[in-house]
Amino acid sequence: MIEYLVAIGLITGIFAIFALGLNLEWGFTGLINFGHVGFLAIGAYTTVLLNQGGFPLWISMAAGVVLAGFFGMLVGIPTLKLKADYLAIVTIGFSEIVRLILLNEDWLTRGPMGLHGFDRPFEALIPFDYNYFLFLFTFVSLAVIYILLEQLVHSPWGRVLKSIREDEDVASALGKNVFSYKIQVLILGSAIAGFAGALLAFNLQYINPRNFIPMETFYAWIIVVLGGSGNNKGIIVGAFMLQFFYSGTRLLQDFIMFDSTQMASLRIMIIGLLLVVFMMYKPQGLLGKKEELGLGR
Amino acid sequence: MLMQLVVNGIVVGSIIAMGAIGLTMVYGILNFANFSHADFMALGAYIAFLLNVTLGLNIILSFFISIVITGAIGVLLDFLVWKPMRKKKADLVSLIIISIGIALIIRNGLIFFWGGGSRHYDLPVLKGTEMFGVIVTYNQIIAFGTALVFMIIVHYLLKYTRTGKAMRALSDDIDLARISGINVDKVIQWMWFVGISLAGAAGVLYALETAIRPNMGWFLLLPMFAAVILGGIGNPYGAIVGGMIIGLSQEISTLFLPSEYKLGVSLAIMIVVLLYKPEGIFKGTKI
Repeated sequence: MIEYLVAIGLITGIFAIFALGLNLEWGFTGLINFGHVGFLAIGAYTTVLLNQGGFPLWISMAAGVVLAGFFGMLVGIPTLKLKADYLAIVTIGFSEIVRLILLNEDWLTRGPMGLHGFDRPFEALIPFDYNYFLFLFTFVSLAVIYILLEQLVHSPWGRVLKSIREDEDVASALGKNVFSYKIQVLILGSAIAGFAGALLAFNLQYINPRNFIPMETFYAWIIVVLGGSGNNKGIIVGAFMLQFFYSGTRLLQDFIMFDSTQMASLRIMIIGLLLVVFMMYKPQGLLGKKEELGLGR
Repeated sequence: MLMQLVVNGIVVGSIIAMGAIGLTMVYGILNFANFSHADFMALGAYIAFLLNVTLGLNIILSFFISIVITGAIGVLLDFLVWKPMRKKKADLVSLIIISIGIALIIRNGLIFFWGGGSRHYDLPVLKGTEMFGVIVTYNQIIAFGTALVFMIIVHYLLKYTRTGKAMRALSDDIDLARISGINVDKVIQWMWFVGISLAGAAGVLYALETAIRPNMGWFLLLPMFAAVILGGIGNPYGAIVGGMIIGLSQEISTLFLPSEYKLGVSLAIMIVVLLYKPEGIFKGTKI
């Protein structure tokens, strides 16, 4: 039982980190990133490939984070001066291209066969079940990222982000370089996704392109929308709610007449419906502050 | 080889163009990128499958009934979702997120009822004809011909009917249209009907060309957005030209790129347009 809870907690922690990156982009700055999973994939594959190529794990991880951030910048350059829609369109395309490259460049990524056999942090030093350590490692990382983000968003820098979200003309009229702020946010958010990608690789021990399908992005979206856009605490609650929903419906599986494909599609239909209903009637999410979010007013 | 790719490109391009017309109209009039548009193509293809294979109707009848039903679902969604959001003067970014929610519901609804595998219409298998070394299948001829007829119909609709003219007026300036006495909600509902039924029709044609799959729309979403942006947002004629350019480039790219990367061609064209000419090659209404 405790192993099961740790395994579930691990996934939840990783998704909470992944969603914190999206929350910085969408919740605080109003950027629509529909390709968040692309940066998760870049983080995971860079970490694993460099490590397999002989680099120390920490350097490989750092490279994964930096590269994810770098691609965040590349995606931002053609899109962030234009309306919000363009970032959404280009990111969704970008993440699909990343997945197609992972799937088809066998010489580098072994394509659909995926990659396994790589180091994990301190694995040789842990005398007990490694999952317990990884659980601890993930939640310490989550706590550190959470605290840093909280400090950032309550700094003058963070207040500029919120002003961009509410009305970017005001922000630029006050002399803020809106484009530069948005690029910084996209770099940081993507780097956080890259870090989550490395953790995901450690957790799975085996990565392949199927781990990085577009739906992963929308899991992060439902976490952010449920938990409350622009509310980091809500994101962590949202990640647990999503996990609860998942595990709960999996337990229900035995009592329902649907097969597993139908159950999976039904689950995603419910997530889609929740996205629609929340954006229509409660855009601030369950824990967000309505006064703070200008959406739908 | 090149000629074969050009023929394939024209056929796929005409299907992309047909889908892109609805996408660009929504984008121009309601001002948001509708990420569920491509999934209505799949929905149209499956409704036609239901009529043609499950109920045994003939394919032409199934095609027309399917596009009417698909269009009607588009109008229904306006009542359920888009109109209440207009009344609230909702932020445009919320509409984009709602549209992705609708996309997830449709796509997984199709998987729920029909599973994830490929399906085909009940059609006699016809061999292609060979002309000057280029193989053209009957389905390709039918797809291109139908797409062409629909585009001509749309042209007449926009140019010569009252509703069509009103749609163009809304695309130019919705407030100006409102104060000149146009019933904006009614015109928007017509726009949904036309745009979404065109998507449904394009879906059936694409299914004739390839197969009926729940994620068939997904692979056309990016090319359609590329076509819309290339042709200038809100400009249906631009979307047609953009669709043809995208379809041709994607097919011709397979000469020197693995065909798995066709989507990358759409993305690359889109990024170049965004960097150097974000308003598109024809005048779009908004950027």
